[in-house]
Amino acid sequence: MNLDPTQTQALLRETLRGYLERELPFDRIRALEREGASDAALWREMAAHGWLGLAFAERHGGGGGSLVDAGILVAELARRAAIVPILELVVAGRALEARGDAAGAALLGRAIAGEALVVPALLEASDRFDAVALELRGGRLDGEKAYVDHGREATHHLVSVRADGAPGLCLVDASDPGVRCEPLRSIGRTPVCAVRYAGARAERVCGPEGLAALVRTGRALAAVQCVASMEAALDATVRYAGVREQFGRPLSAFQAVRHHCANMALRVASARLLAFEALSALDAGVASDAQIALAKASASRAAPEVLMLAHQIHGGNGVIEENDLYFHTLRGKERSLAWGTAEECLAVAADTVSEPVEWL
Amino acid sequence: MDFVWEPEYAAFRAELREFIREWRTPELFREYAERYGAPGPRIRAFHRALDERGWMRMCWPASVGGGGRSLLFHYLFVEEMEYWGMPYGNLTFTSVAPTLAAFGSEAQQREYLPGIYRGELVFALGYSEPNAGTDLASLRTRAVRVGDEWVVNGQKIWTSLADVATHVWLAVRTDPDAPKHAGISLLIVPTDAPGLAIRPLPTMYGGHTNETFYDDVRVPVGNLVGEVNRGWPIIMHALNHERVGLAATGALARLYDELVAHLREAEPARLADPVVRRRLAELWLRLREHRVLALQNAWLIAKGQTPIAEASLAKISATELRTELANAAMDLLGRRGGLSAESGARAPFGGRAEWTFRLSPIFRFGGGTNEVQRDIVAGAGLGLRGR
Repeated sequence: MNLDPTQTQALLRETLRGYLERELPFDRIRALEREGASDAALWREMAAHGWLGLAFAERHGGGGGSLVDAGILVAELARRAAIVPILELVVAGRALEARGDAAGAALLGRAIAGEALVVPALLEASDRFDAVALELRGGRLDGEKAYVDHGREATHHLVSVRADGAPGLCLVDASDPGVRCEPLRSIGRTPVCAVRYAGARAERVCGPEGLAALVRTGRALAAVQCVASMEAALDATVRYAGVREQFGRPLSAFQAVRHHCANMALRVASARLLAFEALSALDAGVASDAQIALAKASASRAAPEVLMLAHQIHGGNGVIEENDLYFHTLRGKERSLAWGTAEECLAVAADTVSEPVEWL
Repeated sequence: MDFVWEPEYAAFRAELREFIREWRTPELFREYAERYGAPGPRIRAFHRALDERGWMRMCWPASVGGGGRSLLFHYLFVEEMEYWGMPYGNLTFTSVAPTLAAFGSEAQQREYLPGIYRGELVFALGYSEPNAGTDLASLRTRAVRVGDEWVVNGQKIWTSLADVATHVWLAVRTDPDAPKHAGISLLIVPTDAPGLAIRPLPTMYGGHTNETFYDDVRVPVGNLVGEVNRGWPIIMHALNHERVGLAATGALARLYDELVAHLREAEPARLADPVVRRRLAELWLRLREHRVLALQNAWLIAKGQTPIAEASLAKISATELRTELANAAMDLLGRRGGLSAESGARAPFGGRAEWTFRLSPIFRFGGGTNEVQRDIVAGAGLGLRGR
């Protein structure tokens, strides 16, 4: 047990935070949001720094890091509201790594170099990860995935399918003429699309366990992103409450405001610890579906409360787009929905609620 | 960063659980309930057995007779004791003992610590007064030095256990002219001292707390803890340790487990109801949300830090969750959730849900109200300036 970041992790966090504050002005993000685009320039820089390979084995050109390491990277990018497919890369890349074949390794190597991008394509109309209707028949896919983050810029999709009756994942080349992306506008203002597969060529990657593992990893990292938005909103609120004066006193001197902030800190602290506990359990190979789901439920439930308290304290200044707060509000709520809403995650936990719990 | 317990912790927990299994007899709990915290023969024997295993002092420094183990063992020890509702010394052990170890003289440590570890000494906390509650530093109970003695006059309230305790851990004013935080000292007063009168105040959760009256109570100067007029930091230290105990997950996890076990065994149809399962999942989530805060607090203490905001977060979370859990348990059980222990077998798990609800307010305002804790989080934790 060590609840502190290791020296390497602390250095990684510090380096990333400094780098992003210097190199990623919020106005650039505003422009990308208007275009509905992702930050290709930042992605190239990240590849050059070796950050894209952080959580992959060295034999694939990665840094050999853990999912906790990846969590620190993902959190710093989310804090800065960066628009990059980092979660998608880590999650899909881990599935390719687990597959362990030469083609997958080569694709992962190109993804780490920033030359290819593999993103998961999972949800259908039902909005449940375990309700996969899309079928892989004779190496071809027909049907639709409803919400694919960064699907348009991806070179490959890792699609959840049913094959021979069992759920699993398959790999689709996004340049296949049978793949069509329809861009959507969502609350988070990051690129998301619906994808139509019409006879697209697909190759099986893994079965039900691989799909379940992918959902666990994605869910834990999405919890980290959700928490990072809350942390950024809390930090902004603490700064604002210290400088904004009314009735001759800073807002921070009013007990009602102080208690709002303390309540935000309480929700954020629990959600952050649970998210990193989940990643740590995944690294150790001891995570259960319920544990991961509850970590995500914590972040998903806290987000709207924390973010709206931030707005309450900011007043009108928080809702205008020249203030940076809205990035965190919109991204935070989007991440609260992504990879399992609070209700879906609670439903996962409810499945095993009658079994005894080990509290240690 | 990793949250996974090393095997030695899991082994310790398993050994402790097995040990408790042998001791958690109806007779022991009857003695605990009837004597209301006073150590009777069974509880004394239990304490001696705990001390013989080395568990009562395993984490204290060798200089005070301790084993020097990581305080994470202490955290696990308290969690397990709280889970099973065992009498393990409670605030005497979790708050007074570490404060004596930090501020007491060598003579005081020799005189009191072994007795605390063996469960022979019980301290009642004498902080609050009728007009000094949340604003504790305005306390007025006076101690005047006369020769080799302190002479105490005044009145305390909420002195729980005073009638069964061996000592009162007493906050007194020793300099009425100094600024209010700078004129307070800490005295150890034997409860058999002449001039100390105790009036019980029955409570809605059963048992009673007390008012205590000090009329020319004389204690030797050697009973002063730390330096004269420097008692405030000692009280803060003790309160901080008190909050660690208040933040324990054990009793909360037990209530949840008992609720689920009751539904599983006695009301399977209710447990099959998706609405009930959804509600249980939410309580499970709340417990996990709290547990990591308690763990973070323990981790910081084990590293040698003195968490302030983190201790307050854990205290707020544990105490509000206690009410939430007790209330939800009763709601899920329906009308029978309100049945008290006196109803016998008809009361689900000994009526613990309704009793916990009756008991739960004291934790939210005790040990520093949760409103004060939120101010501590805002100030010490977030750095929000107060003016």
